[in-house]
Amino acid sequence: MTKPPKDNVTKTLKIALVEDQPKARDNWCRLINSFPDLRCICTCKSGEEALRVIPEVPPDVILMDIFLPRMSGIECTAQLKALLPQTQIIILTAMDDEELIFMALEAGADGYLLKRTKPADLRAALLEVLEGGAPMSSEIARRVITSFRSKAKTRDESLHLSTREEQILLLLTKGCSNKMIADRLELSVVTVCHHLKHVFEKMHVSSRTEAAIRYLNLHNPTD
Amino acid sequence: MAWLGLSGEPCYARGDSLIMRTSQEMFTAKAGGRERRKPSWRASLGLVLCLLGSGLTRAGWAQSQEGKALVEMRHANAIVVENNPLNTATNLQDSLTERGSYNFSDMGSWIWGAVTRDRQTCRFWKSFEIPDGAGIVRARLRITADNEYTLYLDGRELGRDAEWRHLYEYDLTALLSPGRHILAVDAYNSSREAGMILGFQIGLADGRVVKVKSDTSWVVGADDVPGWEPVRNWQKMSALPASWPPATVVASCGSGPWAVSPWYIDIVPPMTREVIPFWQTGWFQITVLAVLGLLILVTFWVLTQLALHTKEQRLLQRERARIARDIHDDLGMRMTQMVLQGEVAQSEMPPGSELHTHLSQMCEDARGTLRAMDEVLWAINPRRDNLREFTTYVCRYAQAFLKDTAIQCTLDVEPEMSTIAFNLPLRRNLLLAVKEALNNAAKHSHATELVLRIRQQNETLLVEVRDNGQGFEPTLANPERNGLANLTQRMQELGGRCHITSQPGKGCSVELFMPLVNRRRQLLRLDWWRKLDPLPPKPEPSITSARHPADSKPT
Repeated sequence: MTKPPKDNVTKTLKIALVEDQPKARDNWCRLINSFPDLRCICTCKSGEEALRVIPEVPPDVILMDIFLPRMSGIECTAQLKALLPQTQIIILTAMDDEELIFMALEAGADGYLLKRTKPADLRAALLEVLEGGAPMSSEIARRVITSFRSKAKTRDESLHLSTREEQILLLLTKGCSNKMIADRLELSVVTVCHHLKHVFEKMHVSSRTEAAIRYLNLHNPTD
Repeated sequence: MAWLGLSGEPCYARGDSLIMRTSQEMFTAKAGGRERRKPSWRASLGLVLCLLGSGLTRAGWAQSQEGKALVEMRHANAIVVENNPLNTATNLQDSLTERGSYNFSDMGSWIWGAVTRDRQTCRFWKSFEIPDGAGIVRARLRITADNEYTLYLDGRELGRDAEWRHLYEYDLTALLSPGRHILAVDAYNSSREAGMILGFQIGLADGRVVKVKSDTSWVVGADDVPGWEPVRNWQKMSALPASWPPATVVASCGSGPWAVSPWYIDIVPPMTREVIPFWQTGWFQITVLAVLGLLILVTFWVLTQLALHTKEQRLLQRERARIARDIHDDLGMRMTQMVLQGEVAQSEMPPGSELHTHLSQMCEDARGTLRAMDEVLWAINPRRDNLREFTTYVCRYAQAFLKDTAIQCTLDVEPEMSTIAFNLPLRRNLLLAVKEALNNAAKHSHATELVLRIRQQNETLLVEVRDNGQGFEPTLANPERNGLANLTQRMQELGGRCHITSQPGKGCSVELFMPLVNRRRQLLRLDWWRKLDPLPPKPEPSITSARHPADSKPT
């Protein structure tokens, strides 16, 4: 809102793509570029290349294939998120496997997309992620709650879900959409999205903390 | 050998020295005895010398070599007196026949088969009766045989010995009972004279005495008896063997070649009937062993089957995982790329053209295929074989299915669904049932809200699909056209049940109950592996038969 002229003129979303299949990479690139407000600025064929190239051309969104040779998409996501905390990372997956998606979200991904998503929906999903509304299915919400509850005993208090956040997650597990949650809790949809964004941030933090603790335990086993 | 002294009064042969001699010498001694039967001056002389030499009223063995006999007799005297059991006090307490007097009148005669040969076996058989109701006070049996005997009572061996100069005394008081009994003697003659002598007295409580003596009432089986047939276990046979002839008296007691009194009466310790507890009986032990052996075999068998089944299951799971991976990595990726390619091609076409529409349709079909593959993957992946995965999948499916309809879907699921095993056939068919119920609600109910409730109640899984639609009158529903009727049948085939409640204007509730089989209980059945798969072998409906509404929706 502060820079409306710029928004109007150059609001093209810079997208980086990490995909090991050359044909798929090319197709994705062409598909993205077919939208006037999306632009594929960088393509990488492996996680290692992504870590090397992407930080130099910071994009707005990174589309990350989950199955990459050597370094997996999830690992690459975690490392990229550490380098570029402001960049949104969206996991691309061929199959709808919530276990993988949860792992990716925990690693720092901001959302996920099925590769077969229609181009129109792709654009909508990208914009939604940028607005902070990470898609969360009832199952993911359930996993998030379980994960936080099991960690609550050992992690520091700041990682706890707030009551509101837990309320929202519980409604998500019941299959409510963000709009329905907003209705039920008498909040605006934006607030709901905001809370969910916090949940994701906490997830990333918790996973990072966990990684750090694991690292410390590994190197100082006497502690 | 007979033990009545020449003078008619009891006299004892003291034969310890002879016992110590070799059988060759015994043979010699007996030969002398035989010679006495054919009156021989040497025998007479020997006897006279014996009498003179010992100075006692007693019988000695007629010896062909007088000098030797003398020496032996003297020698014998020296040893025997102390060892003679007849001198012990117990022997004097003989109630039936005063042993002190050594009256051998209760003995029978020396009997044998009609022919006597060297190395001959004779079998003697005799039955006797003890009156019913009679109490047995004492039963004493005396026996000896030239040369060997084995004594049987009712088929049981009582004892055996091979010294014809001794008399063997058995106390059978405890072994007898009123009724018929069989005495059997297996006698063997090594050479020359042969005979068996036996006397058996049974004193009854009422004073009567049952006497059994060796006489012609015994029957004999011997190899050389014409018409004699060997009988197996002849000692045990209860009837008189038909072809066996009566025994022949070889000599009466106190006469013949054995005309001496016994050197010893060997008293065999009284025999008692041993009460064998049932667990020590052979049959019981054999049975127990057999049962144990059987148990071990059965255990082995069950374990083998278990191992085989586990292996089969593991192989099956590995194969399922492999297929899932193949579908995911290969088919899934190719299809995804196809969709992508189609979309790229589509985006480069001018919208509205015929080709654009075709491409769009193609992409949509390919997406439908991918969705179907997702379901197949879910079904085939062994990692999904549990209740939580099922719940997750059903919830996701319901949400996706109803997203494009006017129905608002609400989930009511336990937050912590257990990960109890829920194997492929069950979960796939239950998913089909849920699909049917959802389909029904979407098509006919005109509902605005639908609640999918999944609950685990003890060992039953409850899946309820409840809508707030127009409902129907269950009794009026056409069973032919009613998809819900299929549902009931399907649930019954799976071992579960289906409960449909509806009222016009009050919505409809479909409750699906599915038993979550307790595997441990299942394992207890021996043929459990045949029942692991509760599905009938008929061809199963495809999991993707109920199509996603979006699949058929034109773009």
